[in-house]
Amino acid sequence: MEIKGSVVLVTGGGNGIGEAVVKHFAKRGAKVAIVDMVQKNIDRVVKDVKEMGGEAIGIQANVTSEADTARYIQATLAAFGKLNIAVSCAGIIRDGTLLSLDKETGKVSKKLGFDKWQAVIDTNLSGTFLCMRDAAEAMVNGGWEGLLVPISSVNKAGQVGQINYSSAKVADALMPKIIIGEFLMRGIRNIRCVAIAPGYTATPMLTQMNQEALKTILEDVHLGRLVAPEEIASMIGYCAENEALNATTIEITGGLCYPKGIAK
Amino acid sequence: MPTYTYNDMQFTVEPGGAGWDISYRAPGGACAIAGTGLFPGLPESEAGPRALELIRTVFPVGIRSVGPDVLHPNTIGDLKIVGPDVAHPNFIYWNKDSVSCPVDL
Repeated sequence: MEIKGSVVLVTGGGNGIGEAVVKHFAKRGAKVAIVDMVQKNIDRVVKDVKEMGGEAIGIQANVTSEADTARYIQATLAAFGKLNIAVSCAGIIRDGTLLSLDKETGKVSKKLGFDKWQAVIDTNLSGTFLCMRDAAEAMVNGGWEGLLVPISSVNKAGQVGQINYSSAKVADALMPKIIIGEFLMRGIRNIRCVAIAPGYTATPMLTQMNQEALKTILEDVHLGRLVAPEEIASMIGYCAENEALNATTIEITGGLCYPKGIAK
Repeated sequence: MPTYTYNDMQFTVEPGGAGWDISYRAPGGACAIAGTGLFPGLPESEAGPRALELIRTVFPVGIRSVGPDVLHPNTIGDLKIVGPDVAHPNFIYWNKDSVSCPVDL
């Protein structure tokens, strides 16, 4: 697929990986729809795209809402007349272990709140599902060439303290196999699906964390630094251009290893 | 340069790049760009109505909420899924976890 002239929709496009994806495609002549919860982030990214001389719209929306999903797809079509690439970057974390024990009694003192579970599943899994479903609907009905990009995570392997996040991200990583299998079954040939599973990436979430803890994490990364959001965006751009990439999940981790060796 | 007052916000459509920019002033006075470089090649007479249509989609005045339709005969294969009878006297709307709120019930 040629990026120039294509229409790209990015949820969570107001910062982090989503912002980098927006700018990567805008720089190369794509028209971009920026979906985010935070209006001031949307405004900033739209302004940046304007300064590049690009085409963009910003839509404040909650990705967990079916009505909002329909609205941001509709707005994209109203602005640009088609949709080619949908990247589901919107994500949150609400970390915690399943159970916490009282150090003295050994009994359960706290359990992971259902609200923490549900919020992460809603945003990171249901939000991705809604985006992929409604974007695919628009692409099929419009007959446009399309690419669906769920954003998974290297923590799909199962990260301690992230039962909610890892559960959502392993499900996101499965989507390309299922979606493309179903598309083949239904005779839908104009849409591909490739998930991206980033490793530790220099997003606001990570760069603002405890720097000592971050240093420990980086000891297990062969690259010796965090992955840049632009490097993730660049891979998504490559996925758009290389139509042989399909029905798979690509990890970009900089060589994340278990402590003292063996790549994860 | 078309301007519209809609949903307590003031929108302006003006040339930007090869197309049109839609900027707006929120009720609090903050200004921002809702879209940039849109509808390239369209004259003002056509870009204005297109922009207004887009503004109405991006900034809805309200969202119509429908359902749940508890009487709808949802079926999955041979299984009939019957929605909760929210009018039943024993119906409890449970939105708390057991740790945070056992006593109120």
